[in-house]
Amino acid sequence: MTKLLIVEDEQHQRELYAMELQDEGYDVDQASNGKEAVEMVKTNKYDLVIMDIRMPEMDGIEALGKILSRDKKIPIIIYTAYSNYKSNFMTWTADAYVTKSTNLDELKDKIKEILVSRAS
Amino acid sequence: MKIRKRTLFRLVLFVIPDFLLGCFFIYFIFISFFSNTVLYFLLLLLILLFVRSIMYFIRSWIFYKKRANVVMDALYDFKKGKFILPKIDIKHDDELSDVYEEIRILGKHLDSIFTAQKVEIEKFNEVYNSIIFSISSYFIVLNEYERIVFATENFCNKFQFDQDDIKSKRIDDIFYFVNARLKGGIKQARGSGDSIILEKTHLLSINKVSIIADIKISSIIAQGRKEIILLIDDVTSKLRKDYQISLMNQISESIQRDAEIERVLYTILTGVTSGSGLGFNRAMLFLSDGDSLVGKMAVGPDSFEEAIDIWSATPNTDPGNRVDAEVKQHGLKLLEKVLSTTFPLKDDSIFSRSYKNIENIHIFDSWNDPVVGSQIASFMDVKEFVVVPLIVGNRAIGIIIADNKFNQSPIGNDLIELLSIFASQAALSIESYDNLGNVKKEMQKIQDRQEAIVESEKMAAVGRIAAHIAHEIRNPLVTMGGYASRISQLSKDPTKNRDKIVAAAEIILKESERLEGTLSNVMDFTKPAKYIREFNNINDVINDTVKLLRNLLLEKRIHIELDLKDDVPLVKSDFNQMKQVVLNLIQNCIDATLPGGTIGIFTDNDNGRIILKIYDTGTGIEEPDPNIIFEPFFTTKITGVGLGLAIVKRIIKDHNGEISVANREQGVEFTIYLPIPA
Repeated sequence: MTKLLIVEDEQHQRELYAMELQDEGYDVDQASNGKEAVEMVKTNKYDLVIMDIRMPEMDGIEALGKILSRDKKIPIIIYTAYSNYKSNFMTWTADAYVTKSTNLDELKDKIKEILVSRAS
Repeated sequence: MKIRKRTLFRLVLFVIPDFLLGCFFIYFIFISFFSNTVLYFLLLLLILLFVRSIMYFIRSWIFYKKRANVVMDALYDFKKGKFILPKIDIKHDDELSDVYEEIRILGKHLDSIFTAQKVEIEKFNEVYNSIIFSISSYFIVLNEYERIVFATENFCNKFQFDQDDIKSKRIDDIFYFVNARLKGGIKQARGSGDSIILEKTHLLSINKVSIIADIKISSIIAQGRKEIILLIDDVTSKLRKDYQISLMNQISESIQRDAEIERVLYTILTGVTSGSGLGFNRAMLFLSDGDSLVGKMAVGPDSFEEAIDIWSATPNTDPGNRVDAEVKQHGLKLLEKVLSTTFPLKDDSIFSRSYKNIENIHIFDSWNDPVVGSQIASFMDVKEFVVVPLIVGNRAIGIIIADNKFNQSPIGNDLIELLSIFASQAALSIESYDNLGNVKKEMQKIQDRQEAIVESEKMAAVGRIAAHIAHEIRNPLVTMGGYASRISQLSKDPTKNRDKIVAAAEIILKESERLEGTLSNVMDFTKPAKYIREFNNINDVINDTVKLLRNLLLEKRIHIELDLKDDVPLVKSDFNQMKQVVLNLIQNCIDATLPGGTIGIFTDNDNGRIILKIYDTGTGIEEPDPNIIFEPFFTTKITGVGLGLAIVKRIIKDHNGEISVANREQGVEFTIYLPIPA
C-alpha cells in the first residue's frame, strides 16, 4: 500500500487531508512540524511526503533539505498557502509546488502523477 | 683367528718385501764384514734406501689413488644433488671402502630428508601461488636494480603484457610515465625499509591501459638481496563513483549558487573528463542557438605533455577544489578552438544528426568513416570519438563530444553510458539555469511594477505584509472549504455520518472566527489616523508587530532578538499608531540589513520614562547628522517618498515622546522615550 506523510501544523487541515487521502486508498501518516517529519522519515519508509512551509519548530524548507540530504529519491510535494516561495531555490528541489486550495483535486492529481512517474 | 683380507694384503705387499730386504741387508753386512769391503756396504745401503722409497711411492700411487677417485666421484655426485650412490664392490677391504660405504649411507639419509623437504616446499609453493592468484590486487616484485622479477598474472592481463616478456624490464619500460611520487616511494622503501602507501596514483601502461591505484610499496630481503614489492590496488571504479556523486552535487550547487553559466558548463565537462583514469581525455560542449551548434566550453589538455602533466598529479575526488581553480588552466588552445567553432544545423554532419535525431554516435575510425566528413575529421583530429546529445524532455539542446585523444584507450560502452547520464544531468542543469534567468527577469518585472504602484510608505508597508495576510486568510479559507465539501459528501448518508458532519461544521465555525480576527487585525492598519488614547503595554505592541513581520524576516533570513522588560509600566497611547511606529522602524531596519543579520528590540524603565530601542546590523547612515532621516521626504531608496520615518517622528511627538537615531559600530540604533503618566 502506498504510504504518504502529511506535514502540516494546522490540525484541522492535516486531519482533513488525511481523511481525503485515506478515501483515495493511501496509507497516511501525519506530522505537525518539520522536526517531527524528519524523525518520522528516519524510521519509516514513505512513498511521498506532502510538506507545508510555514510551521513552528522547523519550517518546511529546512525539513525539505534535511529529508533530501538523507534520501535523495523520496518524492516531496510542497503544499502551502504561500505562492511567493515558488521563487525560492530550495523549493525547486521538491517534485512539485502546489498552492493550497479548497479543492484538493490538484493535490491528488499531482500525487498520482508523481507516483506513476516514479514507478516507471 | 681369521686374518683379515686387508691385513694379509699388507703383509704380502709391504711387510714381506720389507722383511726380505732386511734379510738381504743383514746377509750383505755379514759378507762385507768378512771381505772387508766397507765400500760395498755403503753402496748397498744406498741401493736399499732407493728401493724402499720406490716401493713407498708405488704403494701410495697404485693402491690408494684408484679408490680415492671412487670416493671423490661420490662427493661430486653429492655436490650435484645426487644422493643415491651405486653400491661399488671395492676389491680390497681397507679404510677407503669403509669410508665409501659410510658416504653411501649418508647419501641415503640426505636423499630421504631432501625428498621430504621438497614435497613440503612444493606444497607451500602451491599454497602461496593460490594466495597470490586469489587476491584481486596486482603485484610486482622488483630486484635491487629495479628490474621486474615477478608480476602476477592478473597484472599482466590488466596491462596487456606477456608474463615472460615483462621479466627484467624496468617499470619505466612498462608505464608511459612513472611519476615522481612513485619513484620517490620506491627509493624510500629501499632506503628505510618502511612500507609506503601512495594513494590515487595514476598508472598508464605503454599499451594505453590506465588505472588509478593505491600502491603499497614495501621492501623484503630474499636470498640476501633487497627486493621491492609493489602491491597495486585498482581503485578506479570506486573513485569514479565517488567522483561522479560529488560532481553531481557540485553541479547542482553551482547552479543554486547562481554561478556564471561558464562555470556550470566547466563543471559538467570536468565531470566527463575527470582525469584520464576516470573518464575521457577531452570533452567539448556545443549548444544550439536555433540555427547552429555553437561551441561553448571545452575541457582537456592541448598536448600529450600537458596530459601527462595533469595525470601525474593526484586525482582529486573533491571537485570543489578542482572546479574553483582557474577555469582555463589547461587546454587553452582547445577552448579557443571550440569557442570559435559553430556547426550549422542545416548541414548534414554527424553533429547535427546526433542533435536532430537525439542519438548517440560512436565513430571508430574518423579518418576512413565516410559519415564523418573531412571538416569534422580535421576538427577532431582523433581516430575514435563519441557524440551524445543533451536532452531536456524530448528535445535536444546541444551535444557533448568526447574522446581519448592522448592515451587512445578504446571507448567502451560503459563509458558511453556514463556520458549519456552526465549529458542528461547536464542538460537539466543548463535548462534550469536558463529557467532561473527567466524567473529572475519575471520577478524583477513584478517587483518593478509593484514598486511603481506603491506610492506611500504606509502603502508600501501594507504591500509588503500583503503576502502574509493572504496566507493568513487562505489557510482558514482552505480548511473551511475542505470541510464544507466533506460535509456535502457526508450528507449523502446524514444519519450514519451525523457525528462527522457536526465535527466538520464546528471546525468551519472555529476557522471562520479565526478569519474574522485576522481581518480585523488587518483593518487596524488601514484605518485613518485618529488617536485613541488608552493604557497600552508597549511590549504587546512590539510582540504584535513582530508576529506580523515574522515571515518577512524568515524570508530575508534576518534574526530577531527581543529583550523586553517584564513589568514595564503602561503608556497612554494609541495602540495601532504605536504599532505603525514599530512596524516602520523594523521595516527600515530590514531594508538596511543583509541576510544573516540581526535586528534587536529592547525595552526598559528609565527614570519615569519608558525607553524603547530598536537596532540592526545593517549598513548604517552615511550623513553628518543621522537624525536627518526623520525629515519628511528624505530617502536613500530608489522607490518610496521618504515619509515612513517622518510619520514615526510625528506619532512619537504626538505622544509627548522623543526619538533619535545614532550609528553603531555596525548598523544603527533608534531610541524612543515615552512618558509614563503620573
